[in-house]
Amino acid sequence: MKVERAQVQGVDLEVIRGGDGPTVVLLHGPTVYSPVAPFLALLGRSASIVAPSHPGCGGSTRPDDFDTVYDLVHFYQDFLDALPDEKVTLIGCSFGGWLATEIAVNYGHRLEQLILVDPVGIKVRGREERDIVHHFNTAPDELARRAWHDPAKQRPGQFGLGWQQHLDAMSDEEMVVLARGWDALCLYAWRPHLFNPKLKHWLHRISVPTLLLWGASDQIVTPAYGRAYADLIPGSRFELIPEAGHHPELEQPEALVERVVRFLNGS
Amino acid sequence: MDLWSHCENPYPFVPNEVLQAADSVRAALPNRYCDPMIASRLFDEIFDEHALCDDLGINIVTTEHHAGINNLCGANPLVTAIVARITKKAKILSLGTLVTVRQDPVRVAEEYATLDVISKGRLQIGFVKSGGTEMASGDANPVRLRQREWEAIDLIEKALTSHDGPFSWEGQFFTHPHVNIWPRPWQQPRPDFWAATSDLPTCAELGRRGMVNTLLFGGYDKTKLAFDAYRRARSEAGLPPPGEDRFAYLGFCYVGDTDEEALRIGQKIAWFVTVSLKASPQYNKFLPGQIAPEMVPKAWRSGTGRAPTDLRAESLVTQGQMFAGNPDTVARQIKEFRRRVGGLGGLIMMTRQGLVTHAEAEKSYRLAAAEVLPQLQDLDRLEPVEQPDPLVAASP
Repeated sequence: MKVERAQVQGVDLEVIRGGDGPTVVLLHGPTVYSPVAPFLALLGRSASIVAPSHPGCGGSTRPDDFDTVYDLVHFYQDFLDALPDEKVTLIGCSFGGWLATEIAVNYGHRLEQLILVDPVGIKVRGREERDIVHHFNTAPDELARRAWHDPAKQRPGQFGLGWQQHLDAMSDEEMVVLARGWDALCLYAWRPHLFNPKLKHWLHRISVPTLLLWGASDQIVTPAYGRAYADLIPGSRFELIPEAGHHPELEQPEALVERVVRFLNGS
Repeated sequence: MDLWSHCENPYPFVPNEVLQAADSVRAALPNRYCDPMIASRLFDEIFDEHALCDDLGINIVTTEHHAGINNLCGANPLVTAIVARITKKAKILSLGTLVTVRQDPVRVAEEYATLDVISKGRLQIGFVKSGGTEMASGDANPVRLRQREWEAIDLIEKALTSHDGPFSWEGQFFTHPHVNIWPRPWQQPRPDFWAATSDLPTCAELGRRGMVNTLLFGGYDKTKLAFDAYRRARSEAGLPPPGEDRFAYLGFCYVGDTDEEALRIGQKIAWFVTVSLKASPQYNKFLPGQIAPEMVPKAWRSGTGRAPTDLRAESLVTQGQMFAGNPDTVARQIKEFRRRVGGLGGLIMMTRQGLVTHAEAEKSYRLAAAEVLPQLQDLDRLEPVEQPDPLVAASP
């Protein structure tokens, strides 16, 4: 994978690109991906990957007036318009899954397929039942325990939630990237925390083939939340990934990519 | 110079084993550990102390922190209102309700205007940026906190000083189409504004606005740097030099009959640091938006490091974070602090803190009023001090 720059509507965007096949746009979750993350190489055998870092995350700039998910959703519609492909497959993981869902509701005509991996973004249960563990009020060790089937699998470039546990393993550059992303995520998603109270009502508008993949051990957003999410998207498919938490793409790259590729191939 | 009393109404009654087992003694500690009967007695004692200070000629500071053993005054305007009604002459500084966690600055302006009327013009309004556990207990986004604070201050100021019917506010953080508070404040154009900060760009902005700059436990060097930033900003803006009443400082303080007694009781204040500051890392070290990302590696690798590590009373005195001794000793310490920071108009005494008792606090206030305060009047004018650019001096 290569890290490139793209200029989109005033944003100097960092984009990981590589692989060969139909174009897949990949939206990351609470932490950006390393270009050497194993799941990218595996997926690159079957798809041409375009993985931008959200404005304010990784090496991407954030305009001063970008401060809501609304800004990101509209920005990514501009981003899709700037791609040569008439349609792309959109994959969104965790926070990126929320963005992908919003885009599919608003801009589905540019999508071939939609794949959501442990997405956040909707409110499912009652007012006194938290669906999504608070990312900023929860202790890092608790986040790691909830986000990983096996927290020992966290390693540089693929820490995911609970990354604060591993300062000793980080370079200064990696710390700066994680801090930038953490600040940006907080700015975009503090309240309501990681969901749009209205989104659930509009999921029926998603008309492209949709696959939801869920880490069986995810305790940030549980598989029950995932099934409820899938039930709201017409015709969608829901599959569990064993021995994975909130970041199956990091924790079980082979199992995740195998399911993604099968879906890309229409089976 | 004025003396001010400051009490956070701490609650040092939770069993040690509970506090030791808790990740955080703020924000997350269940309130079943707060006995309302004890809390009620504490409020009685604190209001009695405020009334005593009013009689003695000591001004009063009220504070606000939320959901923790360090402070039961989460509802600052409510507490300040009672102080306003039970006192007659003391100036009252609300330092302050946390405007960064309040949803509606117009309501804050309404509360402060009401307080100014009830106190017949004795209110002063303080602003604190807040942070840490307050972001969780107030569900406030910690990112862009300072920008949000300034917009809240601007809206509160306009609400307090506009008298010609409703105005509209459509800002970055707050909107209100119909601002028109009743009553309007007693003081015209408005009560004096204070802010507690050592952040140098913020101190400079306070200087340009003429607000009172107070530091909390900054010690000699940090306080001088902050006040220099204030003075320099005014000078660069072509504004007249600030009076000493624009500078205040909050430190631990105990005045006893003897130095030995004061240091012994002053040692009880250390509970504030050793016990009441305990917070989980997500509330401090990893709280988003508090330091520029490029500064993060140094900060994270070195720990947070803001609390003093040597907590012996004698050491806190040496560092300028505590004033403790017999009345002459304390007066000498305060005058020395004033000299080293280039001027000071108000010394805020944090006395009823930690394990210090009601009786001990009242004794200190009586001695401070009778024997320290007179020594702080009609002080010799300080020689102007050289003012290097603190923003440059502070850079690595």
